[in-house]
Amino acid sequence: MSYGTTIKVPFGPQHPALKEPEYFLFEVDGDIVVKVTPRIGYVHRGVEKAFEQETYLHNLYLAERICGICSHAHSTCYTQTIEGLIPLEIPPRAVYIRLIMAELERLHSHSLWVGIAAHEAGFDTLFMYLWRDREMIMDLMEEISGNRVTHAINTIGGVRRDITSEQATKIKKFLEKFESNVKEYTKVLESEQTFIKRTKDVGVLKPRDAIVLCAVGPTLRASGIKSDVRADDPYLAYGEIPFNVITHDGCDVYARTIVRCEEMIESANIIRYALDHLPEGKIKVPPPRTIAPNESVGRVEAPRGELIHYARSNGTNKPERYKVRAPTLGNLASVCQTLIGAHVADIPLILAGIDPCFSCMDRVIITKKSV
Amino acid sequence: MKKLEEYKEDIVDIKKPKERRIFIRVKSENFKKFLSSLIEDLDLRHLSTITGLDTGQEMELLYHFSYKYSVEITIGVKVPKSSPKVPTITDLIPGAIFYEQEIHDLLGIEFEGHPNLGPLIVPEGWPEGVYPLRKEYTVQELNRIARGGK
Repeated sequence: MSYGTTIKVPFGPQHPALKEPEYFLFEVDGDIVVKVTPRIGYVHRGVEKAFEQETYLHNLYLAERICGICSHAHSTCYTQTIEGLIPLEIPPRAVYIRLIMAELERLHSHSLWVGIAAHEAGFDTLFMYLWRDREMIMDLMEEISGNRVTHAINTIGGVRRDITSEQATKIKKFLEKFESNVKEYTKVLESEQTFIKRTKDVGVLKPRDAIVLCAVGPTLRASGIKSDVRADDPYLAYGEIPFNVITHDGCDVYARTIVRCEEMIESANIIRYALDHLPEGKIKVPPPRTIAPNESVGRVEAPRGELIHYARSNGTNKPERYKVRAPTLGNLASVCQTLIGAHVADIPLILAGIDPCFSCMDRVIITKKSV
Repeated sequence: MKKLEEYKEDIVDIKKPKERRIFIRVKSENFKKFLSSLIEDLDLRHLSTITGLDTGQEMELLYHFSYKYSVEITIGVKVPKSSPKVPTITDLIPGAIFYEQEIHDLLGIEFEGHPNLGPLIVPEGWPEGVYPLRKEYTVQELNRIARGGK
């Protein structure tokens, strides 16, 4: 029912329902949202300005620290963009290693998100199962790269570490277990009435809105649009590996969950294929220190969707300009639209639905604490 | 890309450095008209982002469109630093709303007709007229401003 007048409800920047600081001003009529005004930047550290101060090699580590979950996606996009500036071809084995790490990262990021979706919908048991499985992926990634979160496996011109045959066997063994678990969880989600009732028809983003508001990633695919940078603009070895782009026409939080679950199965298949076809040879080539004036655009399908970097060089060893647009900023316009007409109680679930990574969106980095 | 030939009056330069990457530089006069007919002709729906740059004497905007989500078409236009104004494209591509707002925050480019150019990223109390991504502001200067000018 409408009360004829609206009330402004501030949400954030510090709020129990938000894992990261961000601010939304909701105008509500009764408990229905009629207007949303976001205010971002609470974790803004001026990464784009910082890029201009450092060398291309130093910036690799900065790029990796833009996000704590999809760090590999950012460093892959960074290396792709810089290698495009030079231009530089990397060895085939390095291409495959980058790809395997990228898909492992998608597995851990998607299991993290499906766990959070289950948690937001009040299904904490599943949250615990998924996060337990996620630990296995984190351990694997640590074993391969030496690091749990910021893997530092990419470098300009290739990768810094090889995947041994023992590690390959270990990954395959893990995939077997993980895949059967994910299939089981998907079955549970598809049949669990409390979850279905909590997420179906919640946070509806119509296909037309998804297109005009330039949504990206699983959010876009859950609105029935078949778009995935890996398939549409193939980078690394995605052009050589068969995989399906998962879509769902539910347009709601339920659809977003199922898309991510099915994408995990696809990722597992991609990793298996890549391990079976891993080319032999060296893993890196030396890059030049300075880069002649040029410009380059890099695109990567991060776990949350299309990630785009732009770089311009000026003949020195530092970039003239470096631009980053993380997928969460790409989804901000569409999530604001989705929130209109929603119940206040659904806000956390809908916001969680795009798998927001606000630090990524704001481009966080704490370089030096001011005294 | 046969269609692009028809626009040669407005186009300054076209580059195709690699597969699925096109860079087009256009004249700033009639920029909006050019963009709207290109959007219609090529059915450009997805705007990946907008990059704003300070090149010293002037500024530049790069609109990164993704043609059928596949070919990244970057359309560049120059903006004079003395009066940095361009028409908004939010009427053509509603998804451009936060990209334009962010550039307004960081580079001070006015997007005429934008629904809300209020602060999006800069902190509360950030002094007006200080645009962090402009080249005249060094990191040290910005740190000083962020600490309240001390």
